[in-house]
Amino acid sequence: MTTSALRRLRVGAALAVLLVPLLANAQPAQPAAQKATQGSLLPKDSIDAATFRGGLVFANYCVTCHGINADGNGRAARLYNPKPANLRASDKNDAYFGLIIRKGGAALGRSEFMPTWDAELTNEQISDLVAYLRSINATKN
Amino acid sequence: MKFSKIAAPLVWALPCAGLIAAGAAWAAEEHVVAQKNKSFTTKKLTVKVGDSVKFVNEDSFAHNVFSLSAAKSFDLGSFGNGGTKSVTFDKPGKVEVECAVHPDMRLDIEVKP
Repeated sequence: MTTSALRRLRVGAALAVLLVPLLANAQPAQPAAQKATQGSLLPKDSIDAATFRGGLVFANYCVTCHGINADGNGRAARLYNPKPANLRASDKNDAYFGLIIRKGGAALGRSEFMPTWDAELTNEQISDLVAYLRSINATKN
Repeated sequence: MKFSKIAAPLVWALPCAGLIAAGAAWAAEEHVVAQKNKSFTTKKLTVKVGDSVKFVNEDSFAHNVFSLSAAKSFDLGSFGNGGTKSVTFDKPGKVEVECAVHPDMRLDIEVKP
């Protein structure tokens, strides 16, 4: 075998090594899966998105007192009598939730230890939080 | 006779002076910690049993200072700009102070005997 033939053989082998994985990956994607993953996972203005965001707000600001299960058994609950509200069993409507979150407990004749959140949370965060509280509420008011 | 007249006041004066000095050494102190820009102005503080800490809110919004530590559990409730609340530490130990409204706020107080 001549030198040039050997060179051609080596180049061919190298190309094969490079191209085989590329070709393997270039197999056509499954159209159904691709279609299903197009677009937003949760459209921003959907109730699901609001509930998801509200859950994050709850986990960051509310769990200390109300607990991760929203049943009033947070780690700080032992400081209070009456203890923090069980939000899953609350019979209050969304307007009430929004009001007590903004104005705090004392303004509504409830616990003075429920702080006012209107300076800390945005309107969107409060609205999301209310959506989350509604989603976990067992009374379905 | 003369000695006892001179010595008698000293017998009383010396213990009294000692008590006054001891009282000054044990006098409770008031420490001041402000809340500013969503944080405590001091991150660590050492106090003695009997000392108090006055929390002063220098932010334009409310804070809610509390602690769940075994050495001292308390909740000072919400207080707005210019508001002050005090807490006295009556047991030695470590006290982690938080703010219910601002989860990133943290102050560690060591209460010494």
